[in-house]
Amino acid sequence: MTEPILRVENLSLSFVTENGTVPVLHHLSYSLPKGKILAVVGESGSGKTVQALSILKLLAPNARVDSGKVIYRGKNLLACKENTLRNVRGSKIAMIFQDPGSSLNPVLTIGEQLTETLRAHRKMSQEAARKKAAQLLTQVGITEAEKRLTEYPFQFSGGMCQRVMIAMALALDPDILIADEPTTALDVTIQAQILTLIKELQRQNGMSVIFITHNLAVAAQVADEVLVLYAGQCMELAPAPDLFAKPLHPYTQGLLSSLASVTHKAQRLPVIAGTPPRPGEIVKGCPFAPRCTQATTKCFETCPPLFAQKSRQVRCYLQEAQ
Amino acid sequence: MTRYILRRLCLLPLVVLGVTFLLFFLTQRLSPEMRASLYVKDPRQMNALEEVIRQYGLRDNVFKQYGRWLKNVAHGDLGYSPSANMPVAQALKQYLPATIQLAFVTMILVVFFGVWFGAASAVHKDKWQDIVARLISVGGFSLPIFVLGLLLLMVFYGQLHWFSPGGYSIQTDIIIHGAGFKTYTGFLLIDSLLNGQWRVFGDVLSHLVLPAMTLCIGSFALMVRVMRSSMLEELSKDYVRTARAKGLSKYQVVYKHAGKNAIIPVITLAGIQFIRLLGGTVIVETIFDYPGIGRFGVLAAQQLDIAGILGFSFLVAILFVAGNLLSDILYTAVDPRIRLE
Repeated sequence: MTEPILRVENLSLSFVTENGTVPVLHHLSYSLPKGKILAVVGESGSGKTVQALSILKLLAPNARVDSGKVIYRGKNLLACKENTLRNVRGSKIAMIFQDPGSSLNPVLTIGEQLTETLRAHRKMSQEAARKKAAQLLTQVGITEAEKRLTEYPFQFSGGMCQRVMIAMALALDPDILIADEPTTALDVTIQAQILTLIKELQRQNGMSVIFITHNLAVAAQVADEVLVLYAGQCMELAPAPDLFAKPLHPYTQGLLSSLASVTHKAQRLPVIAGTPPRPGEIVKGCPFAPRCTQATTKCFETCPPLFAQKSRQVRCYLQEAQ
Repeated sequence: MTRYILRRLCLLPLVVLGVTFLLFFLTQRLSPEMRASLYVKDPRQMNALEEVIRQYGLRDNVFKQYGRWLKNVAHGDLGYSPSANMPVAQALKQYLPATIQLAFVTMILVVFFGVWFGAASAVHKDKWQDIVARLISVGGFSLPIFVLGLLLLMVFYGQLHWFSPGGYSIQTDIIIHGAGFKTYTGFLLIDSLLNGQWRVFGDVLSHLVLPAMTLCIGSFALMVRVMRSSMLEELSKDYVRTARAKGLSKYQVVYKHAGKNAIIPVITLAGIQFIRLLGGTVIVETIFDYPGIGRFGVLAAQQLDIAGILGFSFLVAILFVAGNLLSDILYTAVDPRIRLE
């Protein structure tokens, strides 16, 4: 296996609120292999987005890192000063977000928003930056790029806005692209186009991608590896083919069985009963135990550690013996 | 956009008609004799009242009288103002530039400091900058204009003799009424510069400082609040996160990205405040004896100068609509979403 380009080690994070501190991530560790796509899946509130934002320290001011490191090229990004981080943001590690419409500034032209990214990191004339910006737009499949540079985000459709975001993220050939639910706000056909685009560009540029989604079907389409998050903890981490062929954690199994499928028509979709613990709720034992059909008394008493199995990791006592 | 402006312009006559008719109707509460007596200077002429009433048709139906007034206005004749001792149109023409000048200088102060303090307050939320800005803003809200005006007058004029209230100095008056002084715009601040009269410029400016400071405090307080909350809202938006994720400097994120959006409501507010100042400098102009239309309106009202009051409100109504229009146009200049629709 190649050397990972990014390592998240033992990351714990909480939000300081008026009602006390609310832990949202518990000792999360994973590594992102070079040139691969890691999908982070989980329900809303499972900490997917928060862990991604923490990589670039883009968290809300009330977020507090309790422990852990994010190692990129031998440097712990969490310990870096704002100025060092600025050089990494956008140029080495770029990010695209869930709602492309609101993620672009409504009163600046697309051209301005693209060129400023280029000029923030490279010494470039306005003209050269504009040329490069037009090139980037063409690269992400936007026609009449020159003309569209002078337009504003509201003149673009959602899918087009996401293409612009992608162009912006790829502007400086980053090592890593963090895509935070890039297709959630788009309709299905556009979703497929954007996914294909991301995969294509990833292959061309040899980028590594952290792909955050709550949609397992999407994860299955793009991912090389999958990290399943639940209540801020890693439940299962495995190469995508293995995970989808044989999910080990009951939660992952539940998620996969609740997927709609064309072959099983006219059936009620199976669901995982119950709801995840609320953030801040103190859970003794495995956070998934209350919803787990295979839970034993042990599961309610102490939280299982991650059990390693060949190339995968599972947080479940059922896997302890093997 | 053009259609929008045209629609707004259609509103103009409606507002002007509404305001003036209302006032006209109110003046009818006074008996024809009372209204006629305004034009009579000497008590011995009291028996001529009946003739004045007949001559001006003061006993006619209110609509007929109003129609007559409108017809005259259409010909540029707003009547004669006894309180100003000149035709109303001439009085307005003479006093309006001074008021615009005052309102303009005030607005520059308000917008500049308001935006600055408001933005700083939002960026440093709950830090000392924020607390200072909020204290000043609360103070500005709570301090009535007439109290502040009198305080400033007492301190800077009464004690320190830094600035002067009332009319311009005699030298200034001589120069501006002299043959060599050309009137280009009617705004003394500009005209004095165009004539190369530095002393006049200084004198005019020194007469502007205290009234402008007094006027600016309330609007400033409001501006700080609007800018602060607008900026706070913008700073929490997704595109700000994008801007940070792109590796832009804090300055660019705050001022270029959030600032450009946050300023939009401020511009609307500035437009409305500017108009309010034009019609609402009454108290300040009275306190500082500043020769603007506010003081003209007060004198007219005090002396029951009906033509003067009508002329004053006619002008203020026009300014009101025009100012709102101006603020809408400015709005589109910063917000492409409106401009391009």
